[in-house]
Amino acid sequence: MIEGTLVDLVPFEDDFALYLETWMNEEAWFRAHLWERREPHTEHDVKKYIERMEKDERGALIGFQAKNGDPIGAVIFDHEWPRVRKAEARFFAGDSRYEGSDEVLDALLMLVRYCFETRNLHRLDAVALPFDEVRLEHLRRAGFVHEGTLRQHIRWDGDYVDMEMFGLLDSEWPGYAAKVAGLDLQPSGLEPKPRPEKKDEKKDGAG
Amino acid sequence: MLEGLLVNLVPYGKEFLERDHRWMNNQASFWSGGGERHFMTQAMIAARHAQWAEESGDINDELGVAFGVQSKDGTPLGYFGINWLSAHHRLAMLGAKIGEPQYWGGGYGTDALLLLLDYTFDWLDVRKAWLMTTSMNARVMRQMEKVGFRLEVRQRQSALADGVWYDWLAYGLLREEWPGRAALVEQLGLRERATAPESGAK
Repeated sequence: MIEGTLVDLVPFEDDFALYLETWMNEEAWFRAHLWERREPHTEHDVKKYIERMEKDERGALIGFQAKNGDPIGAVIFDHEWPRVRKAEARFFAGDSRYEGSDEVLDALLMLVRYCFETRNLHRLDAVALPFDEVRLEHLRRAGFVHEGTLRQHIRWDGDYVDMEMFGLLDSEWPGYAAKVAGLDLQPSGLEPKPRPEKKDEKKDGAG
Repeated sequence: MLEGLLVNLVPYGKEFLERDHRWMNNQASFWSGGGERHFMTQAMIAARHAQWAEESGDINDELGVAFGVQSKDGTPLGYFGINWLSAHHRLAMLGAKIGEPQYWGGGYGTDALLLLLDYTFDWLDVRKAWLMTTSMNARVMRQMEKVGFRLEVRQRQSALADGVWYDWLAYGLLREEWPGRAALVEQLGLRERATAPESGAK
């Protein structure tokens, strides 16, 4: 675990995996994975995705949770390129109550902190749709710099839309503590949601 | 075969695969790979070819298209192709490498690019072609502008070449911006280049 201001980064254990069966079919997931075709993700797909990320030597799927232990979503670094020390940064709030919250911003800051201050990366890439105001605001507040627009690059809901491209260099990162000190992060104060029932528990109950 | 004025695009077959060892280890990879310096043995190249052969048998709508570039006298010069093709987004990411440095700057790459774009837009019905190069590669940057690509993204300090940071640049060309191969052949004077007495490798 790495403790942040509003959230903690934790291994993506079974409790997160149960939520992911829902999260991977929701808007926040697809806005963090723009290349995907919006195929419905079955339990099997979710399991395969987690297994792939667990084996991935150039990326990781990391859970983030509120200080009360409630799982909120995931941060992901992917396609790490060791020679130039860069990777793609992705984040999403699976629990839609937290969409646009400072918890999600803190999770992104924690991902940046982990990539620069622990993994010694030089640069992070990030991407957002031009109309995804919430994501654009998180990237801006985290310090990402807009580096250009891939014009009409992907198919999205009946149209070909742009992709806004961002980058953040380690030299532009003041350090997690200094960054947080300038942001006045505020907790949402949401109550923990009920835990989803585990499959084997359901079976036991029915028997 | 796709016939151009200075080159033809042909299947990336045995004659090309045999040259991959040289092309992976020479300056061509340094320029196309953003400062990469490979030390690839024949065995590593063979393993890579075996992997390609295996993957090309897969049914995969995101599989690319590989062409060998050869001069009009049949000399293999390099690779031009679609590295990643997304049918869903109707988007093609192009990749290119002229492996023989004496053919750089003679219009061979431009001729190959026009053939590839013609194929990409008119045969595959792709909406957008894009590719990436680095800010150290002035030759490719000039080529992109000549052919009508727009510089869309500058990823700062994302390429490292001989200890110096450069930017990766993303260039894009939409189908409606593509005037067609014939128009560009005339505009760029490729026909004159092909018939000029000094045409050929430098």
